Amino acid sequence: MTKTFTQDDVVKYIYDSIPENEKLAFENAMICDAQLLDLFHELRSVKQQLNKIQENPRKHVIKNILDYSKSFNLHSVKK
Amino acid sequence: MNNTNLNDSELVSLYKVGNEEAFEELVERHKSRVFTSIYLIVKDKYLAEDIMQETFIKAVNTIKRGKYNEEGKYLPWIMRIAHNLSVDHFRKSKRFPVVVMEDGSRVLNSLEFAEVPFETTQIQQELHSKIRDLVQQLPDSQKQVLIMRHYMGLSFHEIAENTDVSINTALGRMRYALINLRKQMKKYKIAYDQNFYPR
Repeated sequence: MTKTFTQDDVVKYIYDSIPENEKLAFENAMICDAQLLDLFHELRSVKQQLNKIQENPRKHVIKNILDYSKSFNLHSVKK
Repeated sequence: MNNTNLNDSELVSLYKVGNEEAFEELVERHKSRVFTSIYLIVKDKYLAEDIMQETFIKAVNTIKRGKYNEEGKYLPWIMRIAHNLSVDHFRKSKRFPVVVMEDGSRVLNSLEFAEVPFETTQIQQELHSKIRDLVQQLPDSQKQVLIMRHYMGLSFHEIAENTDVSINTALGRMRYALINLRKQMKKYKIAYDQNFYPR
């Protein structure tokens, strides 16, 4: 029996949440279904845009965290 | 020893026995996800930095005191701490609002950020700011799932558990969030073009 894939499967596919044993079937389904393929391109494009707005804190923030960890035993002794 | 090949659980195990380099790798590995997730909730870079520090300090305290028992689930665990602290601060900030500029910096501190730019051009900054705005404009339920899946890296199963909905509902919200964003991006002519915005 052929499995029918939905728009939610497109979301699962682009977020690596589709079961391994369904991946190939899904990819074949997309080739035959222009709507699924269009949605895949559209949503993948949004995902790429969302990746671009990832930001990092300033370096001193990371240094503070690492320094705190290194001096943790000192904090504990003081307390 | 090269820690970059180790998974999170292995790094936590090393950190438990005093390997600070393992912790450094954990922080480096997830700093961007943690920071961006917090920033999207509180919309203020300085506050996001404070909460990020607070998040990792809680993690250090828990692990070093031998109270960490989330074997194999380090990222969801640290993200849960970050999310809870962000929501707490967000609630407090409604009582004590801070004036935040379009780029997410505080009005009184904008000079300091100007001295340490985020290595992006003005055009890119504007584009990123617009995309963040579009994320902020999503309905809360969709925004929550989007942040949890895309930035926090939680599985749909974990999102469903954390938000008390079914996996199908979580998936549906994610789909609506992405489709809504795509519509808005088209409206504002935000198109993906690797040549224009090389990574």
